[in-house]
Amino acid sequence: MKLTTKLTFWYFGIMLVVLLIGGAIVYYEIQQKLARVEVVRHERLNDIIAEQIRQRGDYSGHPTRKRATITKIPADSMPKGERTFYTRGLEWNPEFQTAEYRLLVTTFYSIKGEHYRVTTYSFIPSFYQLLPGVVNSFQWILLLLLVMVIVSAGLISKYILAPFKRTMRMIQSFDLKQKQGIGLPATRTSEFRELNQFLKKMTEKAQEDYQSLKEFTENASHELQTPTAIIRGKLDLLMESDIRDEQAILIAEMQNALERLSRIHSSLTLLTKLENQEYGANVSVCISLLTRATLDSFGELIEMKSLRLEARIAEKVFVALNPALADLLLSNLVSNAIRHNVGTGGEEGEGLNGGEGGGLGWIMVNLTKEGLVISNSGREPQVPVGELFERFKKGNPGGDSIGIGLAIVRQICDLSRFTVEYFFRDGVHMIAVGFTDQVPASRLLQNLALPLRHVKTVTDRM
Amino acid sequence: MKVLIIEDNQELARNIHDFLGREGYVCESSETLEAAKEKLSLFQYDCILLDIGLPDGSGISLLKHIRAEYKSSNVLIISAKNALDDKIIGLEQGADDYITKPFHLAELHARIRAVYRRKNLDGASVVSFNEISLNTDTFEARVGEVLLDTTPKEFDLLLYFLVNKNRVLSRQAIAAHLWGDYTDNLANFDFVYQHVKNLRRKISQAGGMDYISTVYGLGYKFNSHRAE
Repeated sequence: MKLTTKLTFWYFGIMLVVLLIGGAIVYYEIQQKLARVEVVRHERLNDIIAEQIRQRGDYSGHPTRKRATITKIPADSMPKGERTFYTRGLEWNPEFQTAEYRLLVTTFYSIKGEHYRVTTYSFIPSFYQLLPGVVNSFQWILLLLLVMVIVSAGLISKYILAPFKRTMRMIQSFDLKQKQGIGLPATRTSEFRELNQFLKKMTEKAQEDYQSLKEFTENASHELQTPTAIIRGKLDLLMESDIRDEQAILIAEMQNALERLSRIHSSLTLLTKLENQEYGANVSVCISLLTRATLDSFGELIEMKSLRLEARIAEKVFVALNPALADLLLSNLVSNAIRHNVGTGGEEGEGLNGGEGGGLGWIMVNLTKEGLVISNSGREPQVPVGELFERFKKGNPGGDSIGIGLAIVRQICDLSRFTVEYFFRDGVHMIAVGFTDQVPASRLLQNLALPLRHVKTVTDRM
Repeated sequence: MKVLIIEDNQELARNIHDFLGREGYVCESSETLEAAKEKLSLFQYDCILLDIGLPDGSGISLLKHIRAEYKSSNVLIISAKNALDDKIIGLEQGADDYITKPFHLAELHARIRAVYRRKNLDGASVVSFNEISLNTDTFEARVGEVLLDTTPKEFDLLLYFLVNKNRVLSRQAIAAHLWGDYTDNLANFDFVYQHVKNLRRKISQAGGMDYISTVYGLGYKFNSHRAE
């Protein structure tokens, strides 16, 4: 609910309460006033009657006596202090043949040693006759106020909240990666000014931190890669010199370790960059084409490992993703499926086509509009599959991977708001990436249960 | 070929210098932008190896200068920054290729040759050695007149060998060349072995000499002297 709407509702609610109470007060007041005026009139009438009594004339036909009762009373019945009393109540009005609200005013007089009680009455408008008028007028007031509140809420939100809205827009469009600071509009409202100052400080700090983190990553990358490059170059040169066999082995081992070092380093740098969200510019990428291209580029590897590849790729699947990341995601997934397949697990000496089940391995790629599922045959991982997404977790310790590929996969998926799920059962590894929120990766896995069995029977027959 | 190495790290510059020197290239090095500008104004170079992070500024600024003044030189960026924007900016500003540290020297050499071929030979992009000839436009490999049935990777591998004749190519260097830097994919040497084996078989089936030999423990070597 919008702030102005909320305020309007609250304001209206408060007004309703105030008007109800106000209505009651007005109603009560009018009634009191009416009665008061009548009472004063009757007091004067009673006084006139008392004067007539004092003059001892015959006033029986006089208009003053029309609704008057004069009673002589004993002295002890005279009230002390207050002389005038009045009562109200519904009474039968014979003139109008209806029950009406009657005001009865009684005044006590002592005239020449005699005591008199003079009572006059008249019919006045009742509560119930007044009520509709009060209610009606308050309805109009309420309506008028409502219109005013709505109109003024619109104006307030337009003029008073305008700086706030501008600030909101600026924050929304703010990107940590942008070089310049956030430009917030000037305002005379002190709260908004405070908010803007706070935001400005905060974003500047965030930008600074981001920048220094980025610089650190880049520096670390630069400072470490250069010595690595030197060592690698020296080893390359050393290889060319006249060396003995045992020296060659030493160099080869150094090369291996160096390779690992450099891979770990570049992977970690990449992960940091992903975490820093340094890859902007999501464009619509055709995953269908990219998947085909990736499978093509890995085609020879797949063939060499004697893996059966089955790809069901839906046409024209577009996903908003950075192209470089899309490429990285797919190549990581595919190479993962190749590397951790049955047969050559990467251990040297096992040889190509060797090992148990060599040639029976398969990879299945299934791309739909909802997501991508890559499944492959493989040995049972030695850690729970969920943990494989963590860094340096390997299902097969001592293999030829450094255990960071899936961490990268997950990071890319997190960045792109994809869901990703790893599943293993009966020698089948499945990784599903869901492109949409509606169909999460786990659903994709369920949907795929059937065709998978089909593939297995095919491979069994072979 | 004359090569200018603009690299602030002397050791790395010397590595490149030594390696390319053995190929008969004339190499000169400069460590700063200023020194490089001076050298560029005095001599003409076929290829410029440009580091991005230099003590007195970014190599990108020099790249603009080179593109404006010395159009004929090839520029190959050497950077430790695997940053995507660096790569894009570098190529947009007219660099011919981009190589990330740490690289294998043989890879650098192959890139220099590739850039040189693209630019200087005007379509006649045939690399040949004795009876073997490779057309880098059509990806056709021939032994004499016989067309070799090579896969793209095998073609790539043969070209890599031809460019780096008489050099020991480590299995890591070959794997990095063939498969690039697919993160987390450590070189699988079985594949290297398989590719080399297939390539040797195909060449000898076509009647070519077996120039490629295994270097114990390290990798492989293309020996030009075997033909003699």
